Amino acid sequence: MSVRLMRAVETLNNEFVQRWKEEGKKIVGYTCSYAPDEIFHAAGILPYRIRGHGADETTIGDTYFGPFICSLPKCMLQLAGTGAFGFLDGVVIVPGCDSMRRLDDCWRKAGEDIAGVVPQFFFHFAVPHKFAAYTVDWFEGEIRRLIEAVERHFDVRITEERLRDSIELYNRGRSLLEELERMRRLPAPPFTGAEALSVVIAGSAIPRDAYNELLEEFIAVHRAVPRGIEGRRRLMLVGSASDDTAFVRLIEGERALVVADNLCFGARFHNDRVDEGGRDPVRALAERYLRRSDCPRMYGDYRRRLEILVDTIRSASVDGVILQNIRFCDLHGAENGLFERDLEALGVPCMRIEREYGPLVETGRLKMRLDAFLERIDGQGRTA
Amino acid sequence: MIVGGCDVGSLTSKAVLMSEGKVLGFSLIKSRTKPEESAEEAMNGACTAAGIDRGEVRFCVGTGYGRDRIGFVDATVSEIACHGKGARWMVPSARTVIDIGGQDCKAIKLDAAGAVVKFVTNDKCASGTGRFLEVMARLLGLGLDELGELSMRAKNPVTLANACTVWAQADVIQFLNDGVPIEDIAAGINNAMAGRMAVLVNNLGVENDVCMTGGVAKNRGVLAAIETILGLRLRAIRRCDPQLAGALGAALIAHEKAAGGVK
Repeated sequence: MSVRLMRAVETLNNEFVQRWKEEGKKIVGYTCSYAPDEIFHAAGILPYRIRGHGADETTIGDTYFGPFICSLPKCMLQLAGTGAFGFLDGVVIVPGCDSMRRLDDCWRKAGEDIAGVVPQFFFHFAVPHKFAAYTVDWFEGEIRRLIEAVERHFDVRITEERLRDSIELYNRGRSLLEELERMRRLPAPPFTGAEALSVVIAGSAIPRDAYNELLEEFIAVHRAVPRGIEGRRRLMLVGSASDDTAFVRLIEGERALVVADNLCFGARFHNDRVDEGGRDPVRALAERYLRRSDCPRMYGDYRRRLEILVDTIRSASVDGVILQNIRFCDLHGAENGLFERDLEALGVPCMRIEREYGPLVETGRLKMRLDAFLERIDGQGRTA
Repeated sequence: MIVGGCDVGSLTSKAVLMSEGKVLGFSLIKSRTKPEESAEEAMNGACTAAGIDRGEVRFCVGTGYGRDRIGFVDATVSEIACHGKGARWMVPSARTVIDIGGQDCKAIKLDAAGAVVKFVTNDKCASGTGRFLEVMARLLGLGLDELGELSMRAKNPVTLANACTVWAQADVIQFLNDGVPIEDIAAGINNAMAGRMAVLVNNLGVENDVCMTGGVAKNRGVLAAIETILGLRLRAIRRCDPQLAGALGAALIAHEKAAGGVK
């Protein structure tokens, strides 16, 4: 069972995607968690989060992007250029950050050179950087623009009733993910941080009804585990795009366990609900996705995010925090510096790592730093 | 009780044997392609220097990039903790340690008890590492020792436009072609190196006393440049070769582990 979840993470065109296509149904990829899955689900379309996983070079990405930019969109474009996303019937670019906004330009430009790279439905879905009444109004309008575009292009109707059903289904998934997070923070968690990340990511590549069932099963199986994992240092992993479970496995090794995270691709986007009782489900989606999405892209939100981290560190009994960001990520890079300053002042050991998105490299150097960090937490070297 | 520390680095491997807080013997060799062979050779060399048999070493700690491949060690510890420990033994008042190794550089902050409270390492490229100096010295036809001595005689040090090792090579070739005195180029190289290191140290925050370990600590030019850029005095290391700091720290930790004093 969990093997199916893991496979869905490791394979872009996974078994669920293949079956979906065999049934003649459509799939739309999106680039950032601010895209409301419920809209696509209500349209009978599979929402699929585009990742850069599996790109082992960036020759295509480097052709269109400049050198000083995050490697995630480069890897995404690389995969698109090699046809790895051929199963997508549409793409929604969400400008979560400036690099992602440029992906829109670069992908369109690549389409002039590489046939079939840009699907017919290619939509730029803007998201404000601030939460206020007027930005929610604006964002609601943007969601309605997306709904109209999906309805027109795919010749479907996104009715209010179907939208409410989708919201309920996704909220059910969020409740299950919350339970997953709770289990992860137990004194002896029944699964590793790498497994937890896999389970969360799988949700962005599997139809939600099937995912909820698999998730329920995963939770039930692990609830029955007689003895969890003990005796390891408990770490929290924070920062930008990280969907590399091998990276988490490297961090955990034999001596540590990632018991909580606050990552793009991680659990941070699932710890809330869309209001099911309101009069207007589109308004409810706008409220939820703009207000509760947890990302440093949002203006003036640092204090709230710091509080989230501090609460998590306490509730999960975290021994140390790893603050990682992809090279040239201004948002997370700057925020990690502030987190390090403020968390260290609270007595929480922190270590910052800047790395490239893509194949896991520099493992020797990373391992040395991770070992040294764990030794620091242990107080290694203190004269007896 | 005789204990040992073995530091298998990317460029050199070191072994130190100690007893009752005193260095009995050490060895420093060029690393081979296989870490386990480097470790064997280094440890055998240290035993020979100390005049003891391998069997007399009661506890041994491995460190460095090849630490997990050393068969004979009883425990492994990261080079951050080992360099901190070794530096503290060399300079008992040290609170900040600058270490420049073959393929990385580190700045380490120690608490009053000698434990690592914070560290930063370079994570960009080879510039600011021993490899950078090695490449540049070869380009100038100098030994690593000469690079430091020569740079002290510079009158107008050049400025290297790029801190990237590969681009800096192109710069150096250009200066050579232009007939710039070699000591001015050597000083420019050492200044570039010190500049990269200063970024790390400033990031960490300096706390006195400061000392420098690693092979590059033997380059007087880099030491002087770091002092100028950071506006501080580096505490001189005289107790033993600063390049042995990692292996020495490993031996000190081996002693503590054997005695059951620390985790």
